[in-house]
Amino acid sequence: MGSIAAGIICSFLGVFVVSQRVVFLGAALTQAAVAGVAFAFLHLLNLEDLLAPIFGADFMSDTFFHHFEHTFFSLLFSVIAVIIFSQSNRQNLLTKDGLLGIIFVVAIALRIIFIQKSPIAEVAEIESILRGDILFIGAQEFYTLLIILVIVFLIFSLFSKQLKFVTFDSETAAAHGINDRLWLLIFYLTVGVGISLTTRFVGDVFTFAFLILPASTALMLAKRVTGVFVYAIIIGSAIPPIAIYLAFIYDISSGPTAVVAALILYVIVFLIKKLK
Amino acid sequence: MDNNKSKTLIEFKDVSIGYGTTIVHNNINIEIEKNDFIGLVGPNGSGKTTFLKTLLGTIKPLSGVIEKDNIIFGYVPQRDTVQPLLPYSVHDVVMMGRYSLMGVFKNPSKLDEQKVDESLEKVGISDLRKLNYNSLSGGQRQRTLIARALAVDPSVLILDEPTNGMDTPSHYSLLKLISELHNQSELTILLVSHLLSDVANLVKKLMLFEAGRFQSGLIEEMLSEKNLGQTYSANIEVKKINGEYHITSRHSE
Repeated sequence: MGSIAAGIICSFLGVFVVSQRVVFLGAALTQAAVAGVAFAFLHLLNLEDLLAPIFGADFMSDTFFHHFEHTFFSLLFSVIAVIIFSQSNRQNLLTKDGLLGIIFVVAIALRIIFIQKSPIAEVAEIESILRGDILFIGAQEFYTLLIILVIVFLIFSLFSKQLKFVTFDSETAAAHGINDRLWLLIFYLTVGVGISLTTRFVGDVFTFAFLILPASTALMLAKRVTGVFVYAIIIGSAIPPIAIYLAFIYDISSGPTAVVAALILYVIVFLIKKLK
Repeated sequence: MDNNKSKTLIEFKDVSIGYGTTIVHNNINIEIEKNDFIGLVGPNGSGKTTFLKTLLGTIKPLSGVIEKDNIIFGYVPQRDTVQPLLPYSVHDVVMMGRYSLMGVFKNPSKLDEQKVDESLEKVGISDLRKLNYNSLSGGQRQRTLIARALAVDPSVLILDEPTNGMDTPSHYSLLKLISELHNQSELTILLVSHLLSDVANLVKKLMLFEAGRFQSGLIEEMLSEKNLGQTYSANIEVKKINGEYHITSRHSE
């Protein structure tokens, strides 16, 4: 169920990412998120020690709180990346592509440095978290993904008019009195939080692939905007359980299997459309 | 307030426009009145877009005051800037014009639907309402964007290079539509173009933009050979044949 939730979040957000022509934002944010996770293992700021007395929880025995620091820094790094990226709308000197490229390579460089400086005993755990696996999503991770899913749907439903207008034509939206910078920031923050948390639970490869492939396939299939979302969500939710089954049968990793399965569907739809 | 003053919709008082510390034009003193039809002409990079953004309020003037109480702008961007991947219908695009007038959590009402229908009717594309915006021709897309701007019931309609990249029939058909919108509903229109010949026989007033130089006035005043010659640093011939301006550049031997 967790893999389905992650697939739905990524494919839903992916429709916006692909249609906004900022696919590389997905790559940059997933890398920012994993850099955040790696940073948490440096233990420079022990948030768990700070928060334990407040919530009265035993962080070492509570699975959710034990991973709180990784999740927090993954989120923090992604939000910082989104705020930096949103400056491309304000500055003529910075292009979207250039900024995303910078965020992407700097995040990878930071991840390498952070892992090198982490305690050796924890390197295997870090690698495991960064790789992620849709097969091993626990109950608490599932509920967290479910909450993210509800929040993302709520934001995009409640503010659909503003987000639709600014993502379609921000120049005219601003001319008509809509605060395009604010709404674009809300849009990118929501995308950033969604990408960051799914990356934290299912890994960067699955997250990035499911941001692009279901949405790209849906764009070829649908004739209306609503149809694009429906197709993307169906593909994003159907492929992970199939991939888990195939991974179990053939004894291969479930995440990469899901990516390959999504790619095969994309190619099939592309060929059918081309031959029509 | 005298009668003439009451017709003024927008007034620029000693306005300087630009970005950061770079002044593009300064000491702009103009009035835009109800039922004005103004052409904004100048080459790329001459400050037309900066002027528009300042007028719309998306960038602040570097100095001076712009008075524009309760003005609703209808804005038509350059067509090439709107190239959605999502399959929005013509109706979806025109309805976006109404979004700025709705509450944040409100859905489109019957009035909003009615305004969309009226706007589509005005630009002559009611039959295209269900079609995908991406499937339209350049002229049809431009009409859709004009309908979206009209859907807000604007006090001032601003069109940024609306005929750019169009074939000749679509080009003249669109200019005819813009002219009809002005004549039929007394709509104040600002039409941006880099071609003087495009707007010379259409508008009543002209704003000429050149690097570091801005001037505005009635079309008759602005289209004198002396003025155009000074503005463009060229030997320009202006003839009026059958009431239409013909502007050509004389090539010296």
